[in-house]
Amino acid sequence: MRALNGLKKLGVTLGALLLVAATSLLTPAAAQSVDEIIARGKLIVAIDTTTPPYGFLDKDLKPTGFDIEVANKMGEALGVPVEFVTVTSPGRIPALLTKQVDAVISIFSITPQRAIQIDYSIPYAGQSSVVIAPKGTAIKGPEDLVGKKVGVTRGTGEDGLLTKAAEKLTGIEILRFDDYSSLMQAVLSGQLDAVGGGDYGEIYLKKSASGDDFEQKFILKSFYFGIGVTKGNDNLRQWINTWLMTIKADGTLNDLSMKYRNQPLPALPVF
Amino acid sequence: MTTALQFGPVLVHLDRLLWGLTQTLQYAVLSILFGTIIGILGAVGRSYGPRWLSWLIAAYVELIRNTPLLIQLYIVFFSLPLIGFKFTPGTSAVIALSIHLGAYATEILRAGVESIPVGQIEAAKSLGLSPYRIIRHVVLFPAVRAVYPSLSAQFILQLMGTSIVGAIAAEELTAIANNLVMQTFRSFEVYIIVAVIYFVVVQAASLMLAGLGRLLFRWKQ
Repeated sequence: MRALNGLKKLGVTLGALLLVAATSLLTPAAAQSVDEIIARGKLIVAIDTTTPPYGFLDKDLKPTGFDIEVANKMGEALGVPVEFVTVTSPGRIPALLTKQVDAVISIFSITPQRAIQIDYSIPYAGQSSVVIAPKGTAIKGPEDLVGKKVGVTRGTGEDGLLTKAAEKLTGIEILRFDDYSSLMQAVLSGQLDAVGGGDYGEIYLKKSASGDDFEQKFILKSFYFGIGVTKGNDNLRQWINTWLMTIKADGTLNDLSMKYRNQPLPALPVF
Repeated sequence: MTTALQFGPVLVHLDRLLWGLTQTLQYAVLSILFGTIIGILGAVGRSYGPRWLSWLIAAYVELIRNTPLLIQLYIVFFSLPLIGFKFTPGTSAVIALSIHLGAYATEILRAGVESIPVGQIEAAKSLGLSPYRIIRHVVLFPAVRAVYPSLSAQFILQLMGTSIVGAIAAEELTAIANNLVMQTFRSFEVYIIVAVIYFVVVQAASLMLAGLGRLLFRWKQ
């Protein structure tokens, strides 16, 4: 126990040093309040460009997608330009903890575990996690995945759900990839029997030569995406909630959903 | 920034990290073994083989040394299946890592082989040694001794280089760490613990390689 405490102390010291190093390297530090963002003259948002249709690169390699448009509209509403910081899915919480960004807008599913370290706005979008597989493969539920290789993006909602399913049903082999493009590459090259992903996955797969061979098999769960801010930053969070209410009411979010997901905005809970 | 570091929720998963470490070591040991074999064959072929073979090996070395390991992993795992070669993530990782190390080992060992004076080989010939024994005792052994420090350094880099094979879903220490980060949301704690594990293991490996070197080449001094 004493050794563990010693390790803890060492860890705290090391961690503190790392944090000081990290925060001193990263300029400028994230603003705390709406006023500070406006005074600084730019909004810094973390995005992921490997998660189509929410965040991806267009023909000119510029970030685009549902999340990117939401971020740009947020900048417009605040009257400041948006600076994008690209993060990977596991990098989203650290980006807020180290105050590299003001907000994370990157298919950030609202979960109680994440809300311990950061705060969420009300949801601005929602979607379902589904299992996608070739049309010829008979899959109706999790039990049909036994003996199959199922790919997921590491740490996503689908990862959690399928890992839980694999604990109950032995024989489901789960392969975890670091990003969505690797996951899609793996299924297209025949390395996987099925993938767990968003309900938009089919649209993306259809762009490839053999994309028509895939279909959605069953729904794992529905998720809601919120905008992540630093823990306790109620000033910014409250403004975001108010702004989200207005763009939900005037149909802006629904238009974005139709544009990028080809389906209307689902009913979004508020809190 | 007020979030306090908490190691408890991470340390309960230490067994998973240690399992990841066994995978890391497995990838490192297998690829070092195969990579060194490729390196020895490559170095001998490059120095003493026919011109076409020498060129072929030179092309392999340049191709591998001028492309990132990550891309090599992607090609083995994502691209080879399209032409009919499908390997599991683990096998793909060993193949790509071995081919990668093989190129560096070829170049390092070639430097050693070329450091052998022609006179030494001629002396061996005049003593009537068979070509196999000349290659083994007169060329290769002194060559390895000459470049042993660079070769060890390359092995250590290889050990740490295994940390990116998670990109093709091969599970090892870093991939398991990333899984844990997503599960516990304690990124600083997880990465600090993983850094400590890597440090201890890499340090131990360095000492072992140094000890092995002294054992193998003790007659030099």
